Amino acid sequence: MSRDRDNTRLARVLAILAGGGRSPGILCRASAESLGVAGAGAMLMVNGLPTPLCASNGVAEQLEELQSTLGEGPCVDAHESGRPISEPDLARPRRARWIAFTSAALEAGAGAVHSFPLRLGGVRLGALTLYEPTPGGLSDDQHADALVMAGVVTEAILSSQAHAPLDTLSPELELLAEHGAELHQATGMASVQLGVSVAEALVRLRGHAYAGGRLLSEVAADVVARRLVLESEHGTDP
Amino acid sequence: MTKEQRLARTFVELADSLVDDFDVVDLMVLLTERCVELLDASASGLLLAGPRGALMVVAATSEAIETVELFQVQSDEGPCRDCFQSGVPVSVGDLTEQTERWPAFAPFAVTAGFRAADAVPLRLRGQVLGALNLFRTTPGTLRRSDIATAQALADVATISLLQSRAVHDNQVVAEQLEEALNSRIAIEQAKGILAARLDVSMDEAFSRLRRFARTGQSRLTDVAQQVIDGTLRPGDVMVSTRS
Repeated sequence: MSRDRDNTRLARVLAILAGGGRSPGILCRASAESLGVAGAGAMLMVNGLPTPLCASNGVAEQLEELQSTLGEGPCVDAHESGRPISEPDLARPRRARWIAFTSAALEAGAGAVHSFPLRLGGVRLGALTLYEPTPGGLSDDQHADALVMAGVVTEAILSSQAHAPLDTLSPELELLAEHGAELHQATGMASVQLGVSVAEALVRLRGHAYAGGRLLSEVAADVVARRLVLESEHGTDP
Repeated sequence: MTKEQRLARTFVELADSLVDDFDVVDLMVLLTERCVELLDASASGLLLAGPRGALMVVAATSEAIETVELFQVQSDEGPCRDCFQSGVPVSVGDLTEQTERWPAFAPFAVTAGFRAADAVPLRLRGQVLGALNLFRTTPGTLRRSDIATAQALADVATISLLQSRAVHDNQVVAEQLEEALNSRIAIEQAKGILAARLDVSMDEAFSRLRRFARTGQSRLTDVAQQVIDGTLRPGDVMVSTRS
């Protein structure tokens, strides 16, 4: 990567950061730009559920949704282990892991994924995931820069929450709450319809999504819109 | 062990606190004790500013000095207090000559047996966290090298303090974030439960939750959690709209 291209990229990123503040959406786009990857997405682990926070483009958004639906993927591993997790070739993975995620990610247009934990010492929030459409690893520079970017995103999230009034969610993180809202509403509805706890209801929603090859968010939308009512063993789709 | 070796070891002990978990008070106590051991001081005290800026006595090598430090805080007078306020070292060779400057504190300290005092700030860039104080029972000023050493020890302690505060702050904020998110989750789940049970829209479900919380003067989060737990039945959340 030439020095000129580096400087132009950096200048664009600084312009984004300077102009737009530190909302998650802007940080995701800045991450993709500054690291020179096709796309970047971030998720926060909330109550054990990978919850999409932002994504720089459609594919990145899809990858976040997939990981949320399936509950597996590089972001989950990165968050749990506290270390960067890479799969440079999804089509020919070196290790057998995230079988469901891998095939779905390839279908969505990703050839390689790299996840970096969003952490600051003992504080672990989630993960920042980068993707490229073709296989390949990150260069040493990209890897180092990604670590820095993950730190920036983590600090931005904590800083925006630190400035929020007590007992409220920071406005920049509202997106996070809204994104999950429909899912949690659906969980509540399903718990009534199935006569189970909300924890169990979420498991059932996930199972239904997986069985039908659908995203969890899509199933949730159907439940809330009452297009789908889960019943004991089988769901009834119209 | 020579004095130099003991001093070097003290720096290492302080620096260790940067890498390992440590207790703030332990560190401050260590600092004051080493000052008395290694420098020309009969007693040492350390004041730190609390969250709202009020000074607190965090360490003192003897009861006598503790009383003197407390008096400084309460009377808002004295070398340590001045050092904290100004952020620069304060040196006093003879407290009996300072009755105009510190009308309450000077006599009190002299009665307690102290004649001279030196205070160095715990500061990093613009921030002053507190003051490290060395007292002597005989008049005279502290050697320049001793003041410099005291300042160096204070500087290392300050870095550790700031670092531990940053870590603590991040953890506190992360916990607040988690709580705020969990609270939202509970509210959304409760909306879903009410919507399904009472066969109403999400907006209507939310209205019911809010009205119930307000009339009962409970927090929305708590009401939501009760709906999820089952301790509050959906039917109970019906608020009569008849006037």
